[in-house]
Amino acid sequence: MKSLSATLALPITAGLDETKATEDTLTATLGDLKIIASQLNFFYGDQQALFDNNLEIARNRVTAIIGPSGCGKSTHIRIYNRIYELYHDQRASGQIILDGQNILDPSYDVMELRRKVGMIFQKPTPFPMSVFDNVAYGLKMHYRLRRGELADRVEEALSRAAIWDEVKDVLRNPGTALSGGQQQRLCIARALAVEPEVLLMDEPTSAIDPIASSRIEKLINDLRSTYTIVIVTHNLQQAARVSDFTAFFYQGHIVEFGPTQKIFTNPVNEQTEAYITGRFG
Amino acid sequence: MKPRPPTGRRLANLVVSLSAGASALIGIVILFWITIIVVIRGFGALNLAFFTQMPTPPGVGGGGLANAIVGTLVLTMVATLLALPLGLLAGIYLAEFGGEARAADYSRFSANVLMGMPSIIVGVFAYAMVVVPLGHFCGYAGGLALAILMLPVVTRTTEDMLRLVPNTLREAALALGAPRWRVILAVVFRAAKAGLITGTLLAVARVSGETAPLLFTALNSPYMMTSLGQPTPNLPVTIFNYAMSPYPDWQQKAWGASLLITGGVLALTLLTRYILGERKR
Repeated sequence: MKSLSATLALPITAGLDETKATEDTLTATLGDLKIIASQLNFFYGDQQALFDNNLEIARNRVTAIIGPSGCGKSTHIRIYNRIYELYHDQRASGQIILDGQNILDPSYDVMELRRKVGMIFQKPTPFPMSVFDNVAYGLKMHYRLRRGELADRVEEALSRAAIWDEVKDVLRNPGTALSGGQQQRLCIARALAVEPEVLLMDEPTSAIDPIASSRIEKLINDLRSTYTIVIVTHNLQQAARVSDFTAFFYQGHIVEFGPTQKIFTNPVNEQTEAYITGRFG
Repeated sequence: MKPRPPTGRRLANLVVSLSAGASALIGIVILFWITIIVVIRGFGALNLAFFTQMPTPPGVGGGGLANAIVGTLVLTMVATLLALPLGLLAGIYLAEFGGEARAADYSRFSANVLMGMPSIIVGVFAYAMVVVPLGHFCGYAGGLALAILMLPVVTRTTEDMLRLVPNTLREAALALGAPRWRVILAVVFRAAKAGLITGTLLAVARVSGETAPLLFTALNSPYMMTSLGQPTPNLPVTIFNYAMSPYPDWQQKAWGASLLITGGVLALTLLTRYILGERKR
């Protein structure tokens, strides 16, 4: 757990005495690791946005990423599926080991990576096509399926995303005609359909109403045993409710990482505590 | 200090708003004037024979412009078949791949220059490229000239329409593991569909009445076209020839042809407005 001590030994950390003890317990609690990010740096053009991020993501657990706006939370998880590569001026360095392989290696198949690592965005992004086709889009791309199988897989994905009952009669209607909360669950179904192992959620509930948000939180709870979930959120209560582990980001640094309960009740770092208690951010 | 009496300001305001209003009115009046005269003078010429019969010698009476109508449709179609795929692909390059690259800047700039190029120069170019080597006027040269005029319009509209599609949609499709071309064809194009159709229709409307480039290329012919390798009859050049002739029955046909083209362009424009309106709803 060398990287973890590196994480906590950042210039802005405090309480280093406790670090050693925390580290050992954390290793035990984290258990099986799905993703190990080490020495991640990220640049928007000349501007550095992430500094030596080290983070371990436990398999089949929910890891929350919290921190004030602009601290690099989204930037960090956007490296996990290399979606930042859409923009020519964005650049990442370091390592992200997913199941033993470095996904930042240019030879790593980015399409297979994105099948394994799904992403849910802040704003629901249904494609301009029917509800059915929205879910079938990814399926048809990654699997060769007969028509009956396709329909079954679409239904399965929609059921897993807890939206089947609401859309089963409107599968041919445009996905954009659904409500915001339904659109977001449709996007989750779309991501689940291609059978990912990891789900990245970038503030998945910040653009939808509280009732729809609580449905999505419930859904995250249902999914946690099958998927490794990383969720970026502005909502501290949400992080406390849904996650097993929490990382606190500040100005591109990972300031503190640990079991959610510990981060929220007994943070080691002064800045974490200040943020948790609402003194800044 | 005594405030300045408001008379001067009021007068200036009156002068500016009146002259602006009058200028706008003049523009509208001219458009209506032309349209009304074309309708009044041309309407009498439009009958079934106008669409179905071949031209007659001056003084004979009767007959129609079936050959020119067919020729114009064919030339426009040839131009569209040439310019549409090229323009779409060039637009895709500019919007999706080119970015800020220098090559993209150059091609965007040349498209803009080409868009403002006098059509007669394009006609002379097609003359030099096709008519001179072949030794005679032909429909291919006409189609080429019209295609060159369409190309920048299609390119720029495609680019503009694709740029209107939010990046969140591209990210969502890429995040499912889609290759770039599938993202563009299945998601981005679909989202921009109304705009792309509109752009194409406007480009068709723009070239369907072009006369100058056809004078050097397709020329004209009193016969029904049998191949694009010969001079090809078309409405604009027919209008030019018939309107300049001293024969009243030919002049009458020129009015009819003018009405047909004006009506066609108007119909295309209204159709694009309708399509765009549908999208907004």
